[in-house]
Amino acid sequence: MAAITRGAYARPGTSLAFKTGTWRVEIPYHKHWAAPCHAACPAGEDQQAWLAKIQEGKLHEAWNELVTANPMPAITGRVCPHPCEQACNRGIYDAPIAIHNIERFLGDEAIRLGWNYPLLRPTTPESPAVAVVGAGPSGLSAAYHLVRRGFRVNLFDALPEAGGLLRSAIPMTRLPREVLDSEIQRIFSLDGLRFHPRHRLGRDVSLSELQSDHAAVFMGPGAERSKAWDVDGAVPADLHQGLHLIKEWVDHGEIPTPKSVAIHGGGNTAVDLARIMKRRGVEEVYVITASGLPGPGTAPDDVLNVVPRELEEALEEGVVFFPHRTIQRLIMRGSKMIGVEMVHLKKLPGKGGRKSRVSFQGTERVLNVDMVIPSIGEAVDSAGFENLIGNANYFRPDDWGRLAEHPGVFVGGDARGDRGTVSAAIGDGCKAAMAIQAHVEQTEVIDAPRETVGYESLNVNYFEPKPRAYVAKIPVPERDDFTEIEQDMIYAQVVEEAGRCMSCGNCLACDNCWTFCPDNAVIKTRDVCSDGSHYLFDYEFCKGCGLCATECPCGFILMRPQD
Amino acid sequence: MAPNASKIERLKELRDKHGRTDGSVLPDPADPPKDLRQAQPRFRGLEAGHRACQGCGEALAARLVTEAAGPDVMISNATGCLEVFTTPWPQSAWRVPWIHSLFENAAAVASGMEAALKAQGKSTKVLAFGGDGGTFDIGFQALSGMLEREHNVLYVCFDNEAYMNTGIQRSGSTPHAARTTTSPPGKARMGKRHLKKDLLSIISAHHIPYGASTSVAYPADIRRKVRRAMEIQGPTFLLVHSPCPLGWGHDGALTIEIARLAVQSGLFPLVEMERGEVTDVMPIRKPVPVANYLKAQQRFRHLFAPDDPRALQEREHLQALADYNIEIYGLYSEEADPLDTDGADTVRRGGLAN
Ligand SMILES: Cc1cc2nc3c(=O)[nH]c(=O)nc-3n(C[C@H](O)[C@H](O)[C@H](O)COP(=O)(O)OP(=O)(O)OC[C@H]3O[C@@H](n4cnc5c(N)ncnc54)[C@H](O)[C@@H]3O)c2cc1C
Ligand SMILES: Cc1ncc(C[n+]2csc(CCOP(=O)(O)OP(=O)(O)O)c2C)c(N)n1
Ligand code: SF4
Ligand code: SF4
Ligand code: SF4
Ligand code: SF4
Ligand SMILES: [Mg+2]
Repeated sequence: MAAITRGAYARPGTSLAFKTGTWRVEIPYHKHWAAPCHAACPAGEDQQAWLAKIQEGKLHEAWNELVTANPMPAITGRVCPHPCEQACNRGIYDAPIAIHNIERFLGDEAIRLGWNYPLLRPTTPESPAVAVVGAGPSGLSAAYHLVRRGFRVNLFDALPEAGGLLRSAIPMTRLPREVLDSEIQRIFSLDGLRFHPRHRLGRDVSLSELQSDHAAVFMGPGAERSKAWDVDGAVPADLHQGLHLIKEWVDHGEIPTPKSVAIHGGGNTAVDLARIMKRRGVEEVYVITASGLPGPGTAPDDVLNVVPRELEEALEEGVVFFPHRTIQRLIMRGSKMIGVEMVHLKKLPGKGGRKSRVSFQGTERVLNVDMVIPSIGEAVDSAGFENLIGNANYFRPDDWGRLAEHPGVFVGGDARGDRGTVSAAIGDGCKAAMAIQAHVEQTEVIDAPRETVGYESLNVNYFEPKPRAYVAKIPVPERDDFTEIEQDMIYAQVVEEAGRCMSCGNCLACDNCWTFCPDNAVIKTRDVCSDGSHYLFDYEFCKGCGLCATECPCGFILMRPQD
Repeated sequence: MAPNASKIERLKELRDKHGRTDGSVLPDPADPPKDLRQAQPRFRGLEAGHRACQGCGEALAARLVTEAAGPDVMISNATGCLEVFTTPWPQSAWRVPWIHSLFENAAAVASGMEAALKAQGKSTKVLAFGGDGGTFDIGFQALSGMLEREHNVLYVCFDNEAYMNTGIQRSGSTPHAARTTTSPPGKARMGKRHLKKDLLSIISAHHIPYGASTSVAYPADIRRKVRRAMEIQGPTFLLVHSPCPLGWGHDGALTIEIARLAVQSGLFPLVEMERGEVTDVMPIRKPVPVANYLKAQQRFRHLFAPDDPRALQEREHLQALADYNIEIYGLYSEEADPLDTDGADTVRRGGLAN
């Protein structure tokens, strides 16, 4: 048979010799963003990173990742007001990830299974030593992060037991003491850490002693001194401060039970105290606060500074709130309180833009109560270290906790005056440890915050609506002084709930870019590439169409002009 | 030899030819493959280096179809963009046997290939690829004959809704009111006067075992339908909606977005037909207004002319066509379905969710 003379063929795949990458005017790249949850976490956790580990079914690795920032997740999972959830992008889609419940679950798993902290460097007897004053969350966190970095730590507290307000003030219904003890115990079992209870700075040990024996001093004394309170100079005869009453109740289980009470203040102390008194049978419990209740009309910085569900529970339990109000007169009959006069007010910007409180004439209202309890915050008790703080109420360090006039002294937690949560105290401990390491090693602290990815960067076509996990609460009539109100999540729920995380700004390993590239220019690898994904661009062939960037669900692929 | 045993042997032959393992021997982590492209965990029937436009829906669709079909195939390709951009002499982007003859005869060539393979006792599946011009119009009689003669061929039409390779002329597939170079909007007409031909119904009327429409926006749907068709001994047909950034007038980055809107609006229904009957559809979770689809493309720009009353009329006409599809195919369902237009592309860590 005759050969086909005009026959010709090209070998398979020979187009690979034609490098279409030269067509490109824009180039795709991976951007490792900060997820909004991470940006909002005062403790500096990278929730996206640990949720990703749970999605892979690796709980222990998730916890390891979590504790690189926060050594006490079983505690924060219970008491943190979880700004991460308010910031969570999934909240715009349907409902935020139940981050705090999952955090609590991981924390409890670690306690149950006896997981140990992964450390960066071992300590040796020659390692430099740092003194940490105060074993509240800020001091505990600083101690942990210092040991993690290879320092020896002497941790001092005036009290016989560590924990600060976690032990002395936060109600057991929100933080069971076994949980507190377990997490503290795990920190205390770190090699290189020595706890010195009953050592008050200024009484049992002096600042100069600490400074001469240590390479640096971290101050986490909290704020213990009640601020003076009066109304136009008037003070009821039997005045007790809110924090004092809560501490008494935690220690001895005792609380005054008038027929009616007005608590003046808008923080955790006010709300916790109100709930304790209500439970003990006080018929009318009012909270009078200059802040607003959460709602469409209230600016985020104007909302009552408590864990959102605490407010919810307090309302369920029958506590009555008077938001945007203050007490302007005490009504006494002889030396006996019979009521208070309230007036509406708001924080409004005045001349020069600074906000101040403006009260509104004509909105006065009398509230009959037998007792008034101020709960307006505390200041640093500076006895013994007056030279560090002068006569100010709080320290004013920079973001790393450094005091400009006192090199080698670092501050964190409530003593700063601008914090007020456990997770912020924990975050301060971590930042200070970094700053201390830099101070000792005479380097600069490296601060490389990642940019935060917005909801508009995601492609939510690739997600499905799914309700947030339901977590049960003890019903109001069954609540007592000890039983935890918010219940646990079970493992199956944790896996489902973590699966709702949209991996904002970080690769979900979803294969979309690999599947959709018309040019086979996305290469999938077995190993994790340096940018944290399993995918590489093959720039020899990528034409820069931008399809992968549009279809990446996570905003992890961006385009920039080809140079 | 039982067909299965021959299939297994054939796959082994192909693996040996392409230097691949059967998966029982994993690569040594200490000595990872040097060429990551060679080590891709998927079959690449259509390689990089082809010359399609940036973001070409047709290139993507052909890649996905070829991947799903696997290595044991031979392709007959009609003239058109796909043929031109994959095989500029002396290069070929194909890694499977592939032949091009003419614009109008892909199905006829495929019929001959199938008959020859059958005579040789080989089980290699024959695919025929064509554009919408080559399928709806000029190659239609060859295709009809191939179906009628019951050749064991999977015919895939890459539907970019015009003759793109020769510069965007209208075809029987071009949607009503779209601008092409031969249906320009102006005083007399608002783009194409006629309707998009209902090709899938015509094909199904040949009483073939399987015919379906699918879209590049839903790769998993393409994969499933290709595999379904591959298993059938007999004529099968797939219509793949494939946006053309150049011809439709949209950014190449939006190819998937636009393809998805076509499905979600009801304008391009995803339907499966067996022996002339509709057997399955992809339900629409939340029908999107057709206008969302139209306004993303230059070919419908005249339908948004502010002071031409015909613009709104034509938009409403297209909306009515979409509503009609939704109605006759029963596309809308009250309840969410994991494989509906919103669920079918859901991902989770590690890939597709469903
Ligand atoms: C009733 C109540 C409820 C709260 N609820 C919540 C909540 O739900 N969520 C939340 O995030 N936050 C809550 N807070 C706030 C939170 O407890 C504090 O922000 C946090 O404990 C601050 O930590 P810290 O380490 O800075 O200080 P602290 O916890 O106050 O610890 C300071 C420690 O330093 C010790 N100390 C003080 N002075 C000296 C000294 N001179 N020498 C040696 N040791 C000293 C003290 O004994 C104490 O142990 C609540 C507070 C109260 C009062
Ligand atoms: C018989 C014949 N008529 C016309 C042409 C010119 N021609 C080549 S490709 C093409 C258009 C192909 O359109 P379509 O089939 O839709 O494929 P697309 O390029 O859009 O992918 C035309 C008209 C030809 N090659 N042969
Ligand atoms: S510490 Fe608070 S903000 Fe941070 S992850 Fe936990 S709950 Fe969220
Ligand atoms: S979806 Fe996940 S990554 Fe995104 S903000 Fe919420 S928890 Fe963070
Ligand atoms: S989809 Fe492919 S060709 Fe397009 S930009 Fe991404 S990698 Fe490049
Ligand atoms: S598309 Fe998916 S796999 Fe690709 S980078 Fe984005 S998240 Fe990762
Ligand atoms: Mg065409």
